[in-house]
Amino acid sequence: MTVTIDAPDDRGLKKLIAALDDEVSPDALEALWRQSVRRLSGTLERLGRPRAAVGVADSPLGRLMVARSERGVAMVAYVEEQSAVALALARLRRAFDPVEDADAASEIAGEIRRYLEGDPHALRHDVDLSLAGDCFARRVLSTLKALPRGALISYRALCAAAGAAHSARAVGGAMHRNPVPVYVPCHRVIAADGGLGGYSGGMARKLMLLRSEGFAIDQAGAAARLGGPIVWGHRQSGIYCRKNCRAALRADRARLLFFADARAAEQAGMRPCKLCRPA
Amino acid sequence: MARIKLPMPAPFEELIERHGRELMRYLVRATGDREDAADLFQETFVRAYRAYPRLDPSRDARVWLYAIATNLCRNRARATARRAAVFAATPDGAGGSTPAETLAQRTRADATGPKLDLRRLVARLPDKQRRALLMRYFGGLEYAEIADALDCSEQSARANVSQAMKKLRAAW
Repeated sequence: MTVTIDAPDDRGLKKLIAALDDEVSPDALEALWRQSVRRLSGTLERLGRPRAAVGVADSPLGRLMVARSERGVAMVAYVEEQSAVALALARLRRAFDPVEDADAASEIAGEIRRYLEGDPHALRHDVDLSLAGDCFARRVLSTLKALPRGALISYRALCAAAGAAHSARAVGGAMHRNPVPVYVPCHRVIAADGGLGGYSGGMARKLMLLRSEGFAIDQAGAAARLGGPIVWGHRQSGIYCRKNCRAALRADRARLLFFADARAAEQAGMRPCKLCRPA
Repeated sequence: MARIKLPMPAPFEELIERHGRELMRYLVRATGDREDAADLFQETFVRAYRAYPRLDPSRDARVWLYAIATNLCRNRARATARRAAVFAATPDGAGGSTPAETLAQRTRADATGPKLDLRRLVARLPDKQRRALLMRYFGGLEYAEIADALDCSEQSARANVSQAMKKLRAAW
């Protein structure tokens, strides 16, 4: 059927374009559509983002939005208000396609709650660091995750351990952008002088986490410091000492870990110093 | 504490299911070629998938898809024009193109009259007018939707369509 129009006015053009639909029959169009969807599904499977189960749950640290991928916990976000949820979800979507899953969320929140109640083995999930940013951030966070339980480390020592001796600021940045707090214990990074450093989730949360791991805190607020008898463990020698032991003071600060007590140091595989006898 | 809602986006598959047929029909109308339409369909939805996490949830996904598809038509129109030039330049008409392309060319060359001219004329319009016209007449979108797709005012969308019509009349 040929359609002729004298001039492309509104009605004529509509007539002409309606005639274009005759070029392809409805059946042929449907077939083309089905074929295209099949092809598209294949393509999206190849280059698609992995799925993550996501949900909101309450915890002693406040309201959390948590996400879990096949590889492990991919996100733990502190979300007190609606706006924080939108931001966290947008960040998650950079690497994952989210699927709502309240059970997964309460499982993870449950592990975090038991951890805060003092069970050091409560965090059973692996972590997925896809949202950490770059290789360097992933390396810093993996190093942190591999620290022995109950061990605190200074920013400087973490730098050195991650092989980035002069990038303290970059390490700080990686901490700040840690997508999986608690599971990757950025709360255990402190200042070398015993000051508590910062925490992107706020100091109240950092103090709660440190206390639940057995550390005493002197004074609250801005002047908070680690209190109580702290034990220093040396990563290379595997020896732990009382604070200010002569031998410890001579050791390389970049290799020190801090423990709440001798038992924690022993559990990390360290043995007592013969000089200061901390055990 | 107030209740917190998780503003979950629709799964991308839902977009394909909801709008895919309509987009396919649009692309077939706009290109007049099944292969081209099928390829553009893939490109449109792959591009949309990549950009989906950044889509403002308040935006109309259907209109957004039309915008992407319409943008991609332009690249295809230019590629087709180049192929046509190659076809015309070679003496036996078969050199320099694949059998599929040759067949497509022949199909198009056989199509007579106003239908072929219309698509050629539309392809030659300035970009914004081309997009506005395609969405208005080939896609059937409302002016408010075209404005959203073109990121301009409704007034501007109307103006672009009417300017496109004027150019078509002049070249007819």
